[in-house]
Amino acid sequence: MHRRKWYLVAVIALSILASRGLYADFRAGDYTQAGTGTIRQALPAAPSTDAAYDAGQYPIYYPELVPGDGKDDVENNCELCHSPRYITMQPPLPAQAWADEVTKMRKTFGASIPEDTAQKIIQYLGSHYTPETRKR
Amino acid sequence: MANTRQGVSRRGWLKALGAASAAAAAGQIFGKAGAAAQEPSAPQPAPEFTGPGANPYWTSPGQFAMYPQKAPLILLTDRPVQLETPRHYFLSTLTPNDAFFVRWHLPMIPNAVDLKEWRLRVEGNVERPLTLSFSELATRFKSVSIAAVNQCSGNSRSRLQPRVAGGQWGNGAMGSASWTGVKLREVLDAAGVKSGSVQVQFEGLDKGLGPKGLGSNRFIKSLDLTNPVIDMCVVALAMNDEPLPMLNGFPARLVVPGYFATYWMKSLSFIRVLDAPDDNFWMKAGYRIPDTPRGNTTPDDMKSGKVATVPINLMPVRSFLISPDGTAKIPAGLPTRLRGIAFSGYGGVKKVEASLDNGVNWSECQLGPDAGTYSFRTWWFNWTPKAAGKFQVAIRATDTKGNIQPDEGVWNPGGYLWNKIERQEIVVGDAS
Repeated sequence: MHRRKWYLVAVIALSILASRGLYADFRAGDYTQAGTGTIRQALPAAPSTDAAYDAGQYPIYYPELVPGDGKDDVENNCELCHSPRYITMQPPLPAQAWADEVTKMRKTFGASIPEDTAQKIIQYLGSHYTPETRKR
Repeated sequence: MANTRQGVSRRGWLKALGAASAAAAAGQIFGKAGAAAQEPSAPQPAPEFTGPGANPYWTSPGQFAMYPQKAPLILLTDRPVQLETPRHYFLSTLTPNDAFFVRWHLPMIPNAVDLKEWRLRVEGNVERPLTLSFSELATRFKSVSIAAVNQCSGNSRSRLQPRVAGGQWGNGAMGSASWTGVKLREVLDAAGVKSGSVQVQFEGLDKGLGPKGLGSNRFIKSLDLTNPVIDMCVVALAMNDEPLPMLNGFPARLVVPGYFATYWMKSLSFIRVLDAPDDNFWMKAGYRIPDTPRGNTTPDDMKSGKVATVPINLMPVRSFLISPDGTAKIPAGLPTRLRGIAFSGYGGVKKVEASLDNGVNWSECQLGPDAGTYSFRTWWFNWTPKAAGKFQVAIRATDTKGNIQPDEGVWNPGGYLWNKIERQEIVVGDAS
């Protein structure tokens, strides 16, 4: 813990020195909190010598859907076959395009979603994921 | 408790320090020098989505994510898995396995395969149905290798205007690999295709949760037996001289040179000879393109219902500038090399040209070694920018059939066949 403190003090001191313009021809030692994240490395795999070839489980990176009426219906129905990233990945689409998608899932792909629930899902997507309404 | 407080204060300090030093540095150096450009800042995250305009980035803007046997790739979706390859991997003829893009259709994708149990079944309208183990496949038939591009039908879908629903790929749903395995034709001959057969159908290990008989239940694709590509198809057991990553179709994958990836069945486990055309969803409704020049149409024409469609097939010619990628400016006078790749499903790249003035004047680029007709072909162009300025660099390829990349986009409801000339702004700065 102490070592870390001293490291920080040193970084701060160096940054201030650097920022004072020790050299006029470049900037150096300038650090800030990143807006982007870091990714942990995966441990090396430890395979066996038998005939089983196993890649392990696939991770889920669950996105946050916009809160609102119908969100539960999306989560309870659409996610049987696909994660909500299939929604968040899309560009903002007109409400009619969302209605067409839900209809495709039901009629073409056979999703067993009752009519009234489907309407709620269409309402939800058409309220939060259109060019006019989509925020995130 | 103490730890938490320390943690917070540490972060606080770092933040304060960052802000202070950045401000001071900017003032001290750039401010006084009068060359201030932008607020210095650590890399800021790309937006979570693009649209309703065209995606302006080279790839989709998604987060990097870790997957088994994979380098960090760009996440499109997690179940089923769709991952895009970052731009810098495309400087070479072959794309590394751990960076190769991933696209599955249905949620029940294989995590593990037991080769003691796994068999490739050749069945249907054949004289002698076959049940081949991995080792039988590897030893019973002649081993062949082919370098070939595997490109998602929807690669660059996020460029379309108006945008269409589907996987919102940038340009990274493609890769080129050396595929080693056995000829599909030899396997078919061993089974003995009966007369009256019309198509051969391919099925892998992925399954859906939808009702039987629908596209959401299983993913199957077919090719006409009269299609000359049948003789070029390879049942690949290795990719770049390594086993296939699980997410790219271990233990065997169909390779269909020149064709879009939809036919390249992953975890290939069933080869079925059909005596009638396949009318399953993935042939009859999915992956179809308008039967028009370049597969181009309009939303209105589609709605009118008068646009005939055909199954997607060969990949049109494309080329890409990979480096420099526009993230750093180039000092005037510095000898620079533009580098990238080109390919065509119609067979071989004849010429790649670069334009430094947004497509007004074109100069021929050097081509790298020929790794095979259906592989990526690298190219480069040496350029020493004379003075500071912003350059709209455009790259276009011509294939051996004389097809040249157009400067117009394409629109169809599936978001397929995009091959418009790519552009990249390159900024050249003063060097003194």
